[in-house]
Amino acid sequence: MRAHSARELAGAYVYLLPVLAFVLVFILAPVLGAFRASLFQDVTFLPRKFIGLDNYLRLAETPVFWTSLRFTCLFVLISVPLEIVLGLLVALVLDQPLPFRAALRASVLIPWAVPAAVSGRIWELIYDYNLGLANALLGWLHLGQGPVNWLGSGWGAFFSLVLADAWKTTPFVALILLAGLAAVPDELHRQGEVDGASFVQRFFRLTLPLLRPILVVALLFRTIDALRVFDLIFVLTGGGPGGATTSLSLYGANFFLAGDFGFGSAVSVVLFLLALGLALVYVRAGRFREGLG
Amino acid sequence: MREEALKRALVWLGAAGTLLFCLGPIVYMVLIALAQSPDFPGPGRGFEPTLKHLAAVALRPSLHFWDYLGNSLIVSAASAGLCLLVAAPAAFALSRLDLPGRLVILFAILAVSMFPPVSLVSLLFKMMTALGWINTYPALVLPYVAWVLPLSLWILASYFGQIPRDLDRAALIDGCSSWQILRRVIVPLAGPGLFSTGLLAFIFAFNEFLLALMLTTDHQARTIPVGAALFQGLHGQTPWGEIMAFACLAVLPAIGLTVAFQRRVIHGLTRGAVRG
Repeated sequence: MRAHSARELAGAYVYLLPVLAFVLVFILAPVLGAFRASLFQDVTFLPRKFIGLDNYLRLAETPVFWTSLRFTCLFVLISVPLEIVLGLLVALVLDQPLPFRAALRASVLIPWAVPAAVSGRIWELIYDYNLGLANALLGWLHLGQGPVNWLGSGWGAFFSLVLADAWKTTPFVALILLAGLAAVPDELHRQGEVDGASFVQRFFRLTLPLLRPILVVALLFRTIDALRVFDLIFVLTGGGPGGATTSLSLYGANFFLAGDFGFGSAVSVVLFLLALGLALVYVRAGRFREGLG
Repeated sequence: MREEALKRALVWLGAAGTLLFCLGPIVYMVLIALAQSPDFPGPGRGFEPTLKHLAAVALRPSLHFWDYLGNSLIVSAASAGLCLLVAAPAAFALSRLDLPGRLVILFAILAVSMFPPVSLVSLLFKMMTALGWINTYPALVLPYVAWVLPLSLWILASYFGQIPRDLDRAALIDGCSSWQILRRVIVPLAGPGLFSTGLLAFIFAFNEFLLALMLTTDHQARTIPVGAALFQGLHGQTPWGEIMAFACLAVLPAIGLTVAFQRRVIHGLTRGAVRG
């Protein structure tokens, strides 16, 4: 539709108004408000006081903050690549002509559809020292020396979380990559077969390069998501043992739940800047728009 | 052909592994919900089936299961419906009318969806406190709509973009306004797209936890994820059978919707990510 009158153009922007209003009131204003709140001492029942950057200075001197920053970064660095690789493997399997493909795809979707707070409870029981499936499996297979206290040590809790997170999010990655695989023309594969390339070679020379843009999109989505991890940790470890698995989201939310809005806001601003920085890096480094377009 | 055989073996192994990995914890949840004692996989014990945990969750009023489920269903359905109402006209404007700066608007809205929820939640809490909306449905529905709008816009714009433009032109010649084109041409033709988008919005709202935790205080508005997370025993020992029974009944709507409409869900998800 090219022939627009000025009136119709104005009308078109009217269609956008409700969206802009929602985003402005429930997303942009709260974020800007958090920036502002981080400059105040703002604790329930006490008078609000402007304190400049004091919250940030206090943050920098708090060892728990650095632990939680380190945990959050490590969680992203380990869980996201793991989920991408697992998701790629699952996608390659789902892309094959299998007799029960539709049923297989449906079951892959199930972990994605279960709320993380609910699946967190399932994993909590799986890792339980006395009752859990994980230690029962060790017993059946006669592995290790007796039961393991999975959530009792820092690294144990860390990898327990990574596994539970991978269970929940790998399906999402797999389905996105599957859509990318479906876009790879079959002739390319047949050409590769004629040239005598093995399926491993075909994967690395043909499929992987063609998947690159969609891999970047999956990587971006997963990184943004892993960076804000909250539900699973709240339920599964509560941030413990000894604060070892407190993500920045959980660290900040704990202050909000305790009524300390100024300090909690400072934490959330740090996380916000981290997410923004990463998104910018991806957009610049990857072919982000190519993947979308 | 040895290579083909190896490949087939790997694919079958992968399929079996995928199935075990994805469904194992779900099967475990169901078994625990149906077992007398949660330690039945342990040595020397057996599986004794019982319905008492499911019955307790379904029938004991103090557990508020039906309250939580009702809240979740209402909040999710309202979020999905409102989201479509707001997103459809905007997606129409962005995909059909050649607006100056439409790409900038789309990307700006996408960027907004990358904000970590924890950076909004404290101000939303204050906003809802000031409005007296803590522990009510609007306190959850309105922010959920805002959060799921960016993805919905992308998905809908891509669906709308596939409808032939000749249809608009024909309607325009017939004297339709752009609003009438949206209502009479685009919306009827984009039914599947609208359905996929609404489904994704529903599942997002059904799964959301942080905001539901902060903005609700009891069974009047508390949703399933918060109910599940805060489910504790009264007497020290964790009632695993009941927790898993709660989880079973709670995830049924989400799993049912997803499996029944898996093709629509996958379509929506990949639209949002792949083609934009």
